Amino acid sequence: MAYAGKKKRGESPKLDMTPMIDVVFQLLIFFVVTIKQEDILSQLSAARPAPDKNAKPDKQPDLLNIIVAPQGFIFNGRPVTLADLDRRIERYSKISKTAMIVIKCTADSPHGLLIQALDICSKHGMENLSIFSM
Amino acid sequence: MHKKHSSTEQCEMDMTPMIDVVFQLIIFFVVTLKMTQDRNEDIILEDGKHGVTLTQDNMPPTLLEIEVGKRGRISIHNATLTKSMLHSILKQRVNRLGPTFPVLIRADKRASHELVKDVMDICTASGIWKLSFVAIQEPKGK
Repeated sequence: MAYAGKKKRGESPKLDMTPMIDVVFQLLIFFVVTIKQEDILSQLSAARPAPDKNAKPDKQPDLLNIIVAPQGFIFNGRPVTLADLDRRIERYSKISKTAMIVIKCTADSPHGLLIQALDICSKHGMENLSIFSM
Repeated sequence: MHKKHSSTEQCEMDMTPMIDVVFQLIIFFVVTLKMTQDRNEDIILEDGKHGVTLTQDNMPPTLLEIEVGKRGRISIHNATLTKSMLHSILKQRVNRLGPTFPVLIRADKRASHELVKDVMDICTASGIWKLSFVAIQEPKGK
């Protein structure tokens, strides 16, 4: 009897851990499910010339013309696919990286196509990009 | 006698290390969780693998990110703006910082060019010629 009482005092009281572990696991699962990894973003820069310069963009030398239409791209007057455009820009980039590229967008073309065109120009290191709206 | 006793008794495991690890994980998730929505999450960006990577280093505090939604909703930090409001914000910034502060346009890939053009025209009218568009370099989200 005396022994039992002595033991009770010396021992730390046993806590029931089960509810706490349940709650903590619930929290953990909640946070694991709700966490969302961020995409790695990139920026594509281009110049937007003043409207008065808009009048005669075709007069400059070394000018490459990309028209972004709702259906696809038109490069120097010829309709091209994205892979085609990639190949043509690559060829021009070997001659000159500073050639002026004019990207003209029609009003109803989706913004994604413009980004694709800008991405290709950035891929081949073209520096002089300007965006016109039609 | 002794053997029988030990087989019926529950095997007691030391829970302390597991609880330690679980608490560490919870604290990590609590700290990394961002509850406030300070940008328009409905915008779907186009892929652009070859652009300049956006990191904390090349995003100065003066950077302004303009969001253009699928239907042309213009916002900054998910706060909707009218065109005249955007114009006055840009005007104020140009007066304060000069026309060289970076402007990022975060436009939905499904938005028509007309809607993006409006934002670009407002930027040009405020004296900002250099514009950048945001694209996804490496998709990580679901």
